[in-house]
Amino acid sequence: MHLDAFDLHQPTSVEEALALAQRHAGKFDFLAGGTDLLPNYKMHLNVRPHLISLDHVAELRAFRPEAGWLGATVRLRNLEGSSTLRRRYPGIAEAAEEIATPLVRASGTVGGNLLVETRCFFFNQSYPWRQALGFCLKADGDQCHVVPQKTRCYATFSGDLAPALMVLDAHAEIAGPGGRRRVAVADLYDPKGDGVRRTKLGPGELLVGVQIPPGAEHLKAKYSKLRVRPSFDFPELGVAVALEEKGGKVARLEIALGGLETYPRLMRAQTSPLVGERLTEERVKALSEDLVKAVRPVHNTFLAPDYRRKMTGVYVRRAIGALRSGS
Amino acid sequence: MAGTSSRKSGSAGTPTPSSTETDLVKEAEATRASAGYHLIGKRTPLIDAALKVTGRAEYTDDIKRPGMLVGRLLKSVHPHARIRSIDVEEARRHPGVAAVLTGDRYPTPFGVLPMTHDETALAVGRVRFLGEHVAAVAAVDEETCERAFELIHVEYEPLPVYDDPKVSREPVPVKIHDRALRDTNLQKEVFQHFGDVPKALEGASQKVKLSGKYLGVSHGFTEPHCTIAEHTPDGRLTVWSATQVPHYLHRSLSEVLGMPMHRIRVVKPEVGGGFGGKSDPFPHEIACAALAIETGRPVKVLFDREDVFYLNHGRHPTQNDVTVGVDADGKFLAMDIDALIDGGAWSSFGVVTTYYNGVLAMGPYRFDNFRYHGARAYTNHPPSGAMRAHGGTNMRYTVESVVDEIAARMSFDPIELRLQNFLPPNFKTINEFRITSNSVRQCILAARDRSGWEEKYRKLPYGRGIGVACGFYISGSNSPIHFTPVFPQCTVHLKADMDAGVTIHCGAADIGQGSKTVLAQVVAEVLGIRMDRCRVAAVDSDTAPVDLGSYSSRVTFMMGNAAKAAAENLKVPLLQAASELLEVPPDRLEASEERIHVKERPSQGVPFHEALHKAMETKGALVASGAYSTKPLGGTFKGAKAGTAPAYSFSAYVAQVDVDPETGFVHVENVWAAFDCGRPLNPLAVEGQIEGSIHMGLGQLLSEGLSYRGARLMNPSLLDYKILTPMQMPKVECLLVGEDDPEGPFGAKEAGEGPLVAALPAVGNAIYDAIGVRLMDLPITPDKVLRALEEQRKKGGAVKPPAPTRPSKRTPTHGGR
Repeated sequence: MHLDAFDLHQPTSVEEALALAQRHAGKFDFLAGGTDLLPNYKMHLNVRPHLISLDHVAELRAFRPEAGWLGATVRLRNLEGSSTLRRRYPGIAEAAEEIATPLVRASGTVGGNLLVETRCFFFNQSYPWRQALGFCLKADGDQCHVVPQKTRCYATFSGDLAPALMVLDAHAEIAGPGGRRRVAVADLYDPKGDGVRRTKLGPGELLVGVQIPPGAEHLKAKYSKLRVRPSFDFPELGVAVALEEKGGKVARLEIALGGLETYPRLMRAQTSPLVGERLTEERVKALSEDLVKAVRPVHNTFLAPDYRRKMTGVYVRRAIGALRSGS
Repeated sequence: MAGTSSRKSGSAGTPTPSSTETDLVKEAEATRASAGYHLIGKRTPLIDAALKVTGRAEYTDDIKRPGMLVGRLLKSVHPHARIRSIDVEEARRHPGVAAVLTGDRYPTPFGVLPMTHDETALAVGRVRFLGEHVAAVAAVDEETCERAFELIHVEYEPLPVYDDPKVSREPVPVKIHDRALRDTNLQKEVFQHFGDVPKALEGASQKVKLSGKYLGVSHGFTEPHCTIAEHTPDGRLTVWSATQVPHYLHRSLSEVLGMPMHRIRVVKPEVGGGFGGKSDPFPHEIACAALAIETGRPVKVLFDREDVFYLNHGRHPTQNDVTVGVDADGKFLAMDIDALIDGGAWSSFGVVTTYYNGVLAMGPYRFDNFRYHGARAYTNHPPSGAMRAHGGTNMRYTVESVVDEIAARMSFDPIELRLQNFLPPNFKTINEFRITSNSVRQCILAARDRSGWEEKYRKLPYGRGIGVACGFYISGSNSPIHFTPVFPQCTVHLKADMDAGVTIHCGAADIGQGSKTVLAQVVAEVLGIRMDRCRVAAVDSDTAPVDLGSYSSRVTFMMGNAAKAAAENLKVPLLQAASELLEVPPDRLEASEERIHVKERPSQGVPFHEALHKAMETKGALVASGAYSTKPLGGTFKGAKAGTAPAYSFSAYVAQVDVDPETGFVHVENVWAAFDCGRPLNPLAVEGQIEGSIHMGLGQLLSEGLSYRGARLMNPSLLDYKILTPMQMPKVECLLVGEDDPEGPFGAKEAGEGPLVAALPAVGNAIYDAIGVRLMDLPITPDKVLRALEEQRKKGGAVKPPAPTRPSKRTPTHGGR
């Protein structure tokens, strides 16, 4: 497998990066750690002729865990290695250290993991493999092989950081041709989209970083990841929980789930009724059953969808149990 | 799961669980030490280790030849199709392309076994699996090769696709190969019957039948296949290749290219693991040579991991049924086996595999009645082949599960049940295997004593468990693959010259297992010199005498014997020369500590180099040769030679697991691996083989598997094909309790493949002890464990199986045989 030639651009500011994006509209990808993009390019997956490297944009590398700011090209290794981050936002540190392998984390970035390409058996394959299949609607073809039809892609969202940030109500700062805006990380993803159109980022928009709001450091937070091997593997399920109890009652409970569908979901419909209630064993059990009913994984990862749904309940119960017992 | 992998050898400081217990490991070590060898049996770092870990060792891909081209192979996009036409003219004209070849150029079929030649260098008129090579391109770089692929126009006519070996057993409209049996797609069928199985089963007081289902698995070696070929103006062809079988490659190149063997030179550089995945002569090796001949330039073909998965030759997807009948006292009466294995598109070692799935099944146990029906199906999957503990792994899992199930149903302790049924040493089995050394009793007792079995079996809390299983494997296939001309299994040449170094030439392929180190140890031991005087020359067919290859766990046994013979022959003129210098008859001299001296008076002697120089005065450099040939073994019935070996390894493993009943995750905590490889020549390397085998076995047990949808391989990558991480390794204790084998070099037997087989069922049986469910569908992924637990709960609740109630007559560590 070889990498086709591309033009590499190395802007030194966000503005310069955005200008390059305008100039090469539709023909570029932003390049951060490259740990996901370049292997995909080697497989000739949606290759573009221009790569705009974000490595020399100093603003994007800003890492201020004490202020809750994570620049888009902060390395995952920096997250797992920061004692400040681990103390203030343990869920994020847990998510970061479970991503891929130490080598990948040395290059991989916050932004890269938030915007990581969705994954599927029928997509993450070499060109000859996909050619023999007749391609799929996420690359070079028009047919979905997971749920056979031609309109919706079911590729699975496989980032780990997003759920951990969503439960803290973190906001993403986005720079684009129209200026800068901030949206909740939960709203970065498009529930009306699919495995192809998975975020609400406009063409030519760039993720600058993530702001965790003040106060989030007081939440108890945890991230648990289901996968076959304790290293290498993408999530088959990612469960992030943030919890605050006051006077024995729930003051705040957020749960976000990744690795199941085309985008990570903040499960407010299931968790908000519990605010103000005591978190009894029965209520936790009922909550976990509600979550199992709410998720719709498909068969395009290693473990079967029914198992991943069941584990959603188990992992949520265990995560809440661990947060409450302080382990 | 915490990363708590640790290693521990049986040799030093391992605490005995109870001070009253006799320590079989220490006893075996003491017995071996009494022989007084200076190198044999010492923990010896591999002689090429420093070169490998510093990146200096030269693998095939490290070799650069002047003007070398890149060779690439175009893959089929159909699993089964006629090739109506291939138009390569446009590709040939593309700038940078030096040659494009198709199958009609060298259509001679070949294969590792002489009776089943059904492979060709490139597809001829037909493709039989997705990924089969239909054309070969040599060009200036990889990108140009891929451009050329786009310019090759292949017209396919799809044929019915066979992806189920059960269908291949029935009459089929289209045969995958003409040579398939009758009107089916079966490649090979074996029927064997000894004694009277139906009668014995009828009289049995308990019959247990289990069916196992196994996905295919890949060897997972580090180095992908790589070959370089160069055809020079003197009419000679040199081929460097990552191979375990340089000699079989040599023969196949000659046959297919129509070039005499003496004009072909095969070189095996360092090889980054094989495990059977490099033990066939391969189409890409021949295609690479063909490109070199065509272009007159050196050509390199390097595989990526996906190519490796398509070449496959991994362990066969298998379905097997094993029935064992026992009498009321737990004596094994009869074994009945039916196995169907998915051979994929080619034969490879398939005839052997089909036999091994039956003939190795009785393994360490004595049976007087045995019946086997085995069949290997052609399908449109990538070809299956030989993989570590070839034919002995999947069947062993089912057999050891059956034995565990018998113990559970009849309320025996499974160790006691096994002890009653072991083959004795020096015994002829019902299928006429000659068993000589056999320390399986010591193995199971050592594993029992070290693991704390009696405090744990059926006594650990629900979710945690302990299990036992035994193993058995050939120490070298007694019959060579080629019957003519007759020549030794292995020959070793030695040369000792003025520099007082000894050069060892041997065709045996060190693929990382440490055979070069064994060569140096054996030669230096016999000559009484330091190992660093020995240099092992790379395998080069121009200079190295033939060894048949690194397969069937034959190298230590056969090469070791040949090396020992060669060194003893080299010693004769040295002793003679020393005799002249010392004026003492040669039979009163011995070689040790770099000297040749009088046996009973070590101070009277000469240094090794002085004896050598004296011996060289008239003849120059000393040369010596040694060879090892197997003696005829086995019966006269059809297939009687399959599984015959000059010796067999034995093993007993105990494993301890922790199963999460809510998620189905299995965490293997400990493995106590008791192994009988006779005298371990290099215990450090043996431990490496055991630890590596456990890693490989647990991978197949827990998460590895070639996943097909139809004929399409869904996981041809190391991300989706899930080899265990080091974090998942259990704590392993190696217990080497073997006694000297009468025919092995210094008493040694194999340790390359046998260490694998008991690992899987020991853990499977431990899972049964932990949660009371028997899982027979590999790999045992968490979802399968959970499904089995749900079934169990429906039937009445999650509980551990009951403890054995048979009057406990605990076999003492000593005596009672």
